[in-house]
Amino acid sequence: MADAQFDSALDLLRRLNPRDTKRNLQAITTVVPDLTEDLLSSVDQPLEIRRCPKTKRDYLLCDYNRDGDSYRSPWSNEFDPPLDDGTVPSERVRKLEVAANEAFDVYRDLYYEGGVGSVYFWDLDDGFAGVILLKKGVTPGAKSSGEWDSIHVFEATDRARMSHYKLTSTVILHLSNGNETLGEMDLSGNMTRQVEVDLPVESDASHVANVGRLVEDMELKMRNLLQEVYFGKAKDVVGELRSLAPLSETNRDRAAQLEMIKSLQR
Amino acid sequence: MSTIELASSFIEGAPPGELPDVVADVKALTSEEGDLIPSLAPAFERYNETQLTTVKLPGASQEVIVSEFNKLEGNRYFDVESQTSFEVDHVTQEASDAQSYVLESQNADLIKSLLKSLSAHATEHYPNCSYGVYPTENDSSVAILLVANRYSPNNFWNGRFRAIYTMPVSEPTTVTGKIHVDVHYYEDGNVALKTTKPISVSISSLSAETVISRIGAAERDYQETLNRAFVQMAEEAFKNLRRQLPITRQKVEWEKVGGYRLGQDISGGKGR
Repeated sequence: MADAQFDSALDLLRRLNPRDTKRNLQAITTVVPDLTEDLLSSVDQPLEIRRCPKTKRDYLLCDYNRDGDSYRSPWSNEFDPPLDDGTVPSERVRKLEVAANEAFDVYRDLYYEGGVGSVYFWDLDDGFAGVILLKKGVTPGAKSSGEWDSIHVFEATDRARMSHYKLTSTVILHLSNGNETLGEMDLSGNMTRQVEVDLPVESDASHVANVGRLVEDMELKMRNLLQEVYFGKAKDVVGELRSLAPLSETNRDRAAQLEMIKSLQR
Repeated sequence: MSTIELASSFIEGAPPGELPDVVADVKALTSEEGDLIPSLAPAFERYNETQLTTVKLPGASQEVIVSEFNKLEGNRYFDVESQTSFEVDHVTQEASDAQSYVLESQNADLIKSLLKSLSAHATEHYPNCSYGVYPTENDSSVAILLVANRYSPNNFWNGRFRAIYTMPVSEPTTVTGKIHVDVHYYEDGNVALKTTKPISVSISSLSAETVISRIGAAERDYQETLNRAFVQMAEEAFKNLRRQLPITRQKVEWEKVGGYRLGQDISGGKGR
């Protein structure tokens, strides 16, 4: 039953307004408390920002840098509030994590020109895994705002001179606009995509470059996809509901076109 | 909040055309509490009346609107055009027990001519819609309703356009109301468009043709504004969130940004 309930919870969250995911998630876990842990680790929500007390730099919070009620800063590797025995990556994986944070900081600056980013790695038996988080918000007008959250989770499994990467990427994009002529308009949601690939690994540095390129390609794909769905598909569906041109004209034009095609075939 | 309140909020939040899916999820999530659905009846009723749910009249092919404006006693509603009253099962969204119904209103003639003009307007601009005109506010006003649905679950999208207006029967008069557009796209994700546009149109005469033509103009203006808003969002907020390519038009040189620093950092992990 639990599995069926978990699937139903995910289906429900895929249908209800994505603006309200946090509230709906709370409601579902109030009704079925047993699902709480599984849902929190598999449902992506807009990321929260916290300032690292040691380095004064902002970082992002997620389930992967959480231990109890504390979160680990990628800049200091320390938990806030402090934990004596908080789970931290092994020395080798932390080194990779530091390198990846620096690389993705350059990436964030080039593509987002602002925003906040954080990378967290952890050890696996046959490799390691990690999450790359990026967040940016804009408010171009008093009632117009936008928020982008990228969540890329990957696993890198060691193979001879190669590594097998599995990447699951989610982008949460909220946009809203309002004024007297437009009224209120909210265009919000999230999309998820996966990719798996084997790539050569010469040294640990290869991992950062491999993951970097995977995420960069994925974000480009997803940005194009979001553009198509948000501004193409949604607008097309509005046009399917209501036709700007009178339908009698459209139908007449179509009939005339058919007639012409027929006459050409004669 | 109680399970019933939470489950009710799920029902009322169902996107266009997906109520049966939401009901199935709610049933699965609340299976341990027995059959909860009957206790959610008020939520179904609110959903149907706000969303202008359409039901097929028994033995007829046309779909008629369920709303607070054409409600009779109990779960019965009426339709002016077909002169029928009917009972609605709010959970299954099915109509039954159709009976002949004669509209009693001092504005019956106005309502009938509004329906005629509205029918022509609806046919010209909404490929699939239902509409209605009903007396309201103790017969001192009329309510003009239109709902257009397009469901394409095989392609993972559904949409609904609702227009709800009221107009006091007086000259001059003002049509006030709201247009709501809801679009849901859910292939490998969940994307929702939700809009609300308040409408207010002053009209000097109560001629049905004029009223509907002014409403039609307001709806057209709104659709054009909305289309421009899509373009503006794409050009402004969306572009400012994440660039398609860095300003240099070059992708990141990962060997340099990652490898360089990793090489320097190999012994200490000193971070920043």
